[in-house]
Amino acid sequence: MVGTVGAARQNGRRAFALTAAAFAAGLALGATLVFGALGLLGETVHSRVLVIAAVAVAAAAILSDAAGLRVRPQIRFQVPERWRRTMPLPQALFLYGLLLGAGLTTYVPATAAWALPALGLALGSAAGSLAIGLGFALGRALPVLVLAARGEETALAERPQGLRALRALIAASLLLALVAGEVQAAGTVAAPAGDPSVVGADLAWQQPGVGGFLSRNGVKTQLPGNDPAVGGALVAWHAGPAVTVAARDTLAPMVQETIAGAQKLAVSDRWLVWRSGRQIRVQPLSDPSRSALVVEAKRVAELGRPALDGDLVVYHYSTAAGSWLTAVNVANGTRRRVRFARDAQLLNPSLLGPSLLYVRASRCSQELRLGPLRGGKDRVLFELPPLAGQDSGHDRGHTSQGEHVPCPHRPKPTTRILWTTALSDTTAYVTILRPRRGGRTTPTLIAVSRR
Amino acid sequence: MRELSLSEAVAASTSRRGFLARAGRLLLGVSGGGFLVAALRAQKAEAYHFCGHIYTTGSCPHPVGLPRIDRNGFPLRAVDGKPVDDLGRQIDAVGRPVDPRGDLLRDPDGNPLPLAPRTRVCTAAGREFGFRPQIDGAWYRCCNGHVRKLVDCCGSVRNRINGDAALTGYCYSGRRVFCVMYYDTKIKC
Repeated sequence: MVGTVGAARQNGRRAFALTAAAFAAGLALGATLVFGALGLLGETVHSRVLVIAAVAVAAAAILSDAAGLRVRPQIRFQVPERWRRTMPLPQALFLYGLLLGAGLTTYVPATAAWALPALGLALGSAAGSLAIGLGFALGRALPVLVLAARGEETALAERPQGLRALRALIAASLLLALVAGEVQAAGTVAAPAGDPSVVGADLAWQQPGVGGFLSRNGVKTQLPGNDPAVGGALVAWHAGPAVTVAARDTLAPMVQETIAGAQKLAVSDRWLVWRSGRQIRVQPLSDPSRSALVVEAKRVAELGRPALDGDLVVYHYSTAAGSWLTAVNVANGTRRRVRFARDAQLLNPSLLGPSLLYVRASRCSQELRLGPLRGGKDRVLFELPPLAGQDSGHDRGHTSQGEHVPCPHRPKPTTRILWTTALSDTTAYVTILRPRRGGRTTPTLIAVSRR
Repeated sequence: MRELSLSEAVAASTSRRGFLARAGRLLLGVSGGGFLVAALRAQKAEAYHFCGHIYTTGSCPHPVGLPRIDRNGFPLRAVDGKPVDDLGRQIDAVGRPVDPRGDLLRDPDGNPLPLAPRTRVCTAAGREFGFRPQIDGAWYRCCNGHVRKLVDCCGSVRNRINGDAALTGYCYSGRRVFCVMYYDTKIKC
């Protein structure tokens, strides 16, 4: 390919530039078509198996390229040689680029080439997959164009150590990309910190024993109170029973009142919601003199922290007979149980438009789930092991025949507990509680990409 | 051959299977001698998946594994008899999760963490496998020095939990054994 592109140099710099551009454009288009399609497919298919398979392929590619193993598999189908004789060179090279960019023809110099389509599919993002594809096209175009411009057609064949170094570099890049992806997938925002709420770039949380914080574009500001909540254009906090609702941009107080026992707050442009004791109550911001009961827990039940989006309040209700998430429209009073589990614990929902984020703790895992508010298939954004292990299922010295263990694979339990959540357009936030002595817990706030 | 203690003898004699076991042991003792009895005892210890169980019906689904229950049918952790919820966590008397030292787990505000569901083991089996569960009868054995009550989880089922044909066992009114559980009493034997 270097020789074919380099042949254009005989017709002058302009002809070479045109040929090189055609080759690059063909590569870019081919990669865009294939990786764009993979990305779109990945957006519709949410499968953990797919992600595990892609990571396995990537790991194999990293090992293969780092160790300089023979690249397998290879495509033996080459680009049609006659095109360079029967077509104008730019046209032939555009078509060659199209085939190479699509990954349909010719040998690949590094195993990483096979990991890229797998990762593009598993990423579940058309834009992300497209970026991988364009990077792939760039990686294929640059060596050809640079060597063709310098007239070094046989450079790679004569100096294989260059290719060896390139493969090692590719392996390192792929490894870095995977690590960076993991870091981006779930990163710590603040610790100790919990009970997040978020609107756009504004993220509020509570630091136990210190107070509420508001982070805007990475700039952290301590608020003059506890249990902060952001919603609409407002932010709310409380200092004991003194509750303040302020403008989110200036923090200038708009409503100040006394609410006995207020613990957890949620706010929108029209409503203030709080949990106190066994009740969740709502109050219109236009008339702070009246409030209404949203729900009251029975003696053996427990209510979660309320979350508010527009007129809709969501909360969890937990009992020994089951747990459920309820959405209440505080404007018209309609309420709907949006999730229910008899053998798992559903916790701390948050809401953004039609999307519901919540924690589901079951016997074999703890999951941060994102799904449609109205019900349907949830996606697991983040997962921790279960909170308890299991025994062998049979007594020592006895046969295993007849045993029945709860999890198919012996779980390695964790003491970390998924807790409160918040949801933005791009990111899901969740608090992780770590138990300490005496049953107390320390929260850590982490961010998980919604993709 | 170890002598049966009084309580073991009482426990064994309280059930049909206990009687048969005792009679069989007696016959073998008379005809075959102590060596053979000891060999069969060892086989018996390994033939079923938990002590006292004498048939091949599998355990009921349990949050921890071994189907140990309390006297009301709720799950206990087999190794220490601590109560657990459906998530397998150790809990206090009202169902709230506690840490390994028994301290109540609390959120960062100091409130107890919420309860998780806790379901009777036989009820959970009926729910998971789609039958109406019922506990009809039980039998007793001596296990680890204490009398163990072995409980059948019954239902109007044709097959037991492992898919084989279900047997009558200690189930009545046409019901059959779907799976088994046990309750360890404090009575020494």
